[in-house]
Amino acid sequence: MNRKKKWITLAITITAFAIVIVEMFPIVIIVLNGFKRDIDIWSQNPFSFQFTLRSYQKVFARDDFLLGLKNSLIVGLSSTAISILAGAMASYGIARFHFRGRKTVSYSFLISRMVPQISLAIPLYLLFSRIGLRDNLLALVLAYTSFNIPYVIWLLLPFFASIPKTFEEAALVDGCNRKQIFWKIFLPLTAPGLVVASVFAFIMSWNEFIYALILTGNQSKTAPISINGFMGQYAPEWGQLAAAGTLILIPIFVFTLSLQRYIIKGLTAGGIKG
Amino acid sequence: MQPSRDLFPREGSSLTKKKMPTLYFILPAALIVGAVLLFPVLYALGLSFFHYPLVDDGTRQFNGLQNYWTLFTDPEFWNSLWRQLGFILIAIPIELVIGFFVALLFSRDFFAGKVLRTLLLLPVFILPVLSGLTWRLMLQPEYGALSFLLSKIGFGGKTILAEPNLAYTAVIVQDIWRMWPFMFMILYAGLSNIPRELLEAANLDGAGFFKKITSVTIPLLKPTITTALLLRVIDALRIFSEIFVMTDGGPGNATMLFSIYTYRQAFKYFNIGIASAMAVILLIIAILFALTLVRKNMDLDTM
Repeated sequence: MNRKKKWITLAITITAFAIVIVEMFPIVIIVLNGFKRDIDIWSQNPFSFQFTLRSYQKVFARDDFLLGLKNSLIVGLSSTAISILAGAMASYGIARFHFRGRKTVSYSFLISRMVPQISLAIPLYLLFSRIGLRDNLLALVLAYTSFNIPYVIWLLLPFFASIPKTFEEAALVDGCNRKQIFWKIFLPLTAPGLVVASVFAFIMSWNEFIYALILTGNQSKTAPISINGFMGQYAPEWGQLAAAGTLILIPIFVFTLSLQRYIIKGLTAGGIKG
Repeated sequence: MQPSRDLFPREGSSLTKKKMPTLYFILPAALIVGAVLLFPVLYALGLSFFHYPLVDDGTRQFNGLQNYWTLFTDPEFWNSLWRQLGFILIAIPIELVIGFFVALLFSRDFFAGKVLRTLLLLPVFILPVLSGLTWRLMLQPEYGALSFLLSKIGFGGKTILAEPNLAYTAVIVQDIWRMWPFMFMILYAGLSNIPRELLEAANLDGAGFFKKITSVTIPLLKPTITTALLLRVIDALRIFSEIFVMTDGGPGNATMLFSIYTYRQAFKYFNIGIASAMAVILLIIAILFALTLVRKNMDLDTM
């Protein structure tokens, strides 16, 4: 019996390793290609190559990519900041006040997270063109905020709901008003939720492509757009694409790995009880 | 404990003073979402009733349901709808099955299990654009890594992204690769909430592996599975970037999914009216799924 168990465990371990190796294959390819010479990328056997940093040097010398990185950072951070602020306030309001139309308001917020980007991108394109915000970072910040605020509200609701109401009663007795309670007591108490929400809001902005494709031009394009630009008009610059791709993956992977115990909560925000 | 009435003001509270904080908290989010989401959506709804070329050539005018009618008689529209549906119906069940069995596998303790589990998170968070481009690279006929491996097992010499059926398969495989770990994570979390005693009881009853799965695990996981499926469907409905960079809808219209065709109508053919009608149709479908999800999971009354 024990012997059989050992064999089963061994088989499971081997299967698990095999699955992970297959699953990591595309990521490994992209990372490796960043360190290949162009001639090796274009060669028949993709697994034999000489190590080089040429692609990274080229990428760092490209103003358009650096601008894209900078824009991505600005847009991601601003949108995250706005969304966290407005989203946390609304989330607290929904969790704690029983106002008229509460259900309608909260349902609308929740559903708006599911609006397909293309449905929104077309009217936003026309509206932003009309008010002169095309190819402007502000337009992107606003567009990203449209999906980040509902997301933050979803994610924070259970955090606010889990704080005992006695906290507020005690604070009210001590003479705090509602606003002070929120800023001084609730925000610090939900700090873990705020961190998770910020990271996810930032990642979603960082990865976003449709709005950036439609709403930006040369001035305000973001990193994902400039990566796609490496495909070029005539021949793709696979080496630089891989190097640039690896660079913009780094923050994402660092965040995901450091926050892994919150990831389920983040991915399903509001979707799963408890 | 029941909260006292004026501490948590309920509907109809006569004290306007108590209503102020509600507005204070809700208003900023409501204003922003109203301006960048609700208003644009209504604007798109309005545009869908107009003949509206992107560049104003003087022919812009109200034309009622004409755009919708044009779509319903447009074979390309139906093509994109069916391809979208096929994409969802093929990719998501496969993602569910893989995710489920891998979750079962990882629910055992074994060497390096935790590290491997963590690595499986990475594809979910990879930039969709980068994923699409990577798959495009791997499938290049002369030098792509995947083409190379395929040729080693006797499936060489094909330009996968240039053949309609193979290209459609490729974009589906790309999505399965990226998203089965999403199913895996949610199901794994669900599995670890199943009480051990239930499975041990099934063991004592002499239930075999598959018997245990069908009569204990799956029934207990059902709510989790439904939620995961709904989240994935809503997400797959709006897939765009990966396919845009991988095939741009081609070859021909083989991978012309709904959002890709909408994008074409708007920014290649400049038919904003028709594109808006498509946007509205997609929006309605997405909202139906979203409502189901929200109804099922949101329990405002217990807060």
